[in-house]
Amino acid sequence: MALIEIEHLDKIYNTTAVPVKALNDVTLQFERGEFTSVVGPSGSGKTTFLNMVGGLDRPTKGKIVIDGTNLAELKGSKLVEFRLHHIGFVFQAFNLIPVFTALENVEFIMLLQGISKEERQKRAIELLEAVGLGDRIHSRPGQLSGGQQQRVAVARALASKPEFVLADEPTANLDSKSAEDLLTLMEELNREYQTTFIFSTHDPRVIKRARRIVTLCDGKVEKDETV
Amino acid sequence: MLLALAWKNIWRNKNRSLIVVLAIAFGLWGGLFSGGLMVSMGESMVNSAIDRDLAHIQIHNPRYDENNDIKQFIPDPEKVFAVLKKEPDILAFSARTRFLGMASSATSSYPVHITGIDPEQEKKVTTLSEKIIEGDYFVTEHGISIVIGKKLAKRLKLRLHSKMVLGFEGLNGDLINIACRVVGIYKTESSMFDEMNVFLNQKYLFDVLDTQPIYHEIAIRSPNAEVVAALTLKLKKQFPALKVESWKERAPEIAFISDLMIQYTYLFLVFILFAVLFGITNTMLMSVIDRIRELGMLIAIGMKRVKIFSMILLETLLLSFTGGLLGIILGMGTIAIFSHVGINLSVFEASLESFGSSSILYPVLPAEMYVILTILIVATANIAALMPAWKAIRLEPAKAIRSY
Ligand SMILES: Nc1ncnc2c1ncn2[C@@H]1O[C@H](COP(=O)(O)OP(=O)(O)OP(=O)(O)O)[C@@H](O)[C@H]1O
Ligand SMILES: [Mg+2]
Repeated sequence: MALIEIEHLDKIYNTTAVPVKALNDVTLQFERGEFTSVVGPSGSGKTTFLNMVGGLDRPTKGKIVIDGTNLAELKGSKLVEFRLHHIGFVFQAFNLIPVFTALENVEFIMLLQGISKEERQKRAIELLEAVGLGDRIHSRPGQLSGGQQQRVAVARALASKPEFVLADEPTANLDSKSAEDLLTLMEELNREYQTTFIFSTHDPRVIKRARRIVTLCDGKVEKDETV
Repeated sequence: MLLALAWKNIWRNKNRSLIVVLAIAFGLWGGLFSGGLMVSMGESMVNSAIDRDLAHIQIHNPRYDENNDIKQFIPDPEKVFAVLKKEPDILAFSARTRFLGMASSATSSYPVHITGIDPEQEKKVTTLSEKIIEGDYFVTEHGISIVIGKKLAKRLKLRLHSKMVLGFEGLNGDLINIACRVVGIYKTESSMFDEMNVFLNQKYLFDVLDTQPIYHEIAIRSPNAEVVAALTLKLKKQFPALKVESWKERAPEIAFISDLMIQYTYLFLVFILFAVLFGITNTMLMSVIDRIRELGMLIAIGMKRVKIFSMILLETLLLSFTGGLLGIILGMGTIAIFSHVGINLSVFEASLESFGSSSILYPVLPAEMYVILTILIVATANIAALMPAWKAIRLEPAKAIRSY
């Protein structure tokens, strides 16, 4: 069985005067160890899709099964807890708690998981070293560059030992050099630890680094190609 | 770590938090200090009443209070004295011959309580002897000497060494008039008392009444205010035929006003906290709104809503406590300083005196008030946190994060 199984997913937003069908009958599967990019023009439904898969929002129709668990069956705090233990998140911005240091930010998610102080610190330092920030563990987000902040976010996403990491336009706020570096880091982590990454992007340079590219258009899967 | 996060979050917007912290601190400071003044005024009323005349316990003939009749004296006083002398919790007592009469000068007259005392005994029980502002506390002069209050002296236009006449009913119903000479004028904290009480040596009264010593009132002073209740109970059992009353029973209005001052202070503090509550709610609400994306991110990565709720609650508690603690320290500090130095409110002397309170106040607050205030602050913070915390947990992560 695939890690993520998505069947006939629809999402209709009713908040506007005219309902918007942001996802239209999306059926996809993702395997462990994938390094996949979700692409498509603005408004094609990338963010909506990742929010559904990440359990941040509920689909209007269809089914999402992650590692055997049907997300629709998880109510309220069960869903929050599922996200905490199974899914890592990297957002475009505002990933970090500004009053905490890099180390504390990475530690915090493990605190939520109830992991002991020593283990938290040990793992947080390891991960920050792995993302190349071993010398900046005591810096607060405001003292780090955008690229460095996204690296901390990646370390934080991995700290909870998730099944997979979702990243919605992680490079959108970065200059091309930092974007390339972040992708290299994600590739390395994917190779070394078999971490599954699913990320959305506009950036052609980022797209070409993916091993599988899912193209959305008007909420539909237009292409699904493996390179 | 959650505590550290809450603390750090408070100080993200330093000015905003500082303003509310200072509002709480100054509010409570003012409340505590004025409470301290009110309570000390109440205590001053009680203490001056006790020192002036009331003493801790009084004994009367049960029928004396009906109309302060001269014939309702205490039967067998020597027996009572014998018991009182043996009681270790009694510092001293003064047996007073006390009844109603009329004080007259050449110009006018005024109804008064005539009190015959043994000056030496009275000195051990009340502070009348220290309140003499003109003349002396009983010197043996030619004739009958009398000590009167300043207010009465003014009303009757009497001065030191003036002559005056006391008129009262004798034991057999005859009207008796005696001429006295003013040897001392006193002034206490209560102008009403000063107007209504005259004192003379009781031996003159026994002479003119042509009687064995008779006493209407025994005022008892205990070395320790804490034992008064128990001592009163004990004496009540020992003298079932007499009316034994603690100062609280004898002067319930004074005890009541003193308690009222404490209750007023609580009320005052509750009002201040109520006002401050809106300030805290507002500050926390703004702080939540400023952090919508961050809170959305926290919910997204797996922070449960209960935890978010606790975090906001904790932040509110810390914020309120910082202000509360500062206010309590300021309040306690100023009260401690002024409880040594005293605050001279002689500007308001006249009105304070009509309450029977001294015009130099030494602010105090009962210790349990600080404990209750702390509980009140915690309660306030909890209420203030509700709305902001509620707002925070109702965030939907997908929307909150999208809002950039
Ligand atoms: N909360 C919402 N209410 C109403 N319509 C929405 C909402 N969120 C998204 N949409 C609409 O759904 C469609 C898909 O939006 P989505 O954000 O998923 O696109 P996207 O591919 O991520 O775009 P971009 O590349 O600009 O980030 C758009 O037409 C958008 O206007
Ligand atoms: Mg998007």
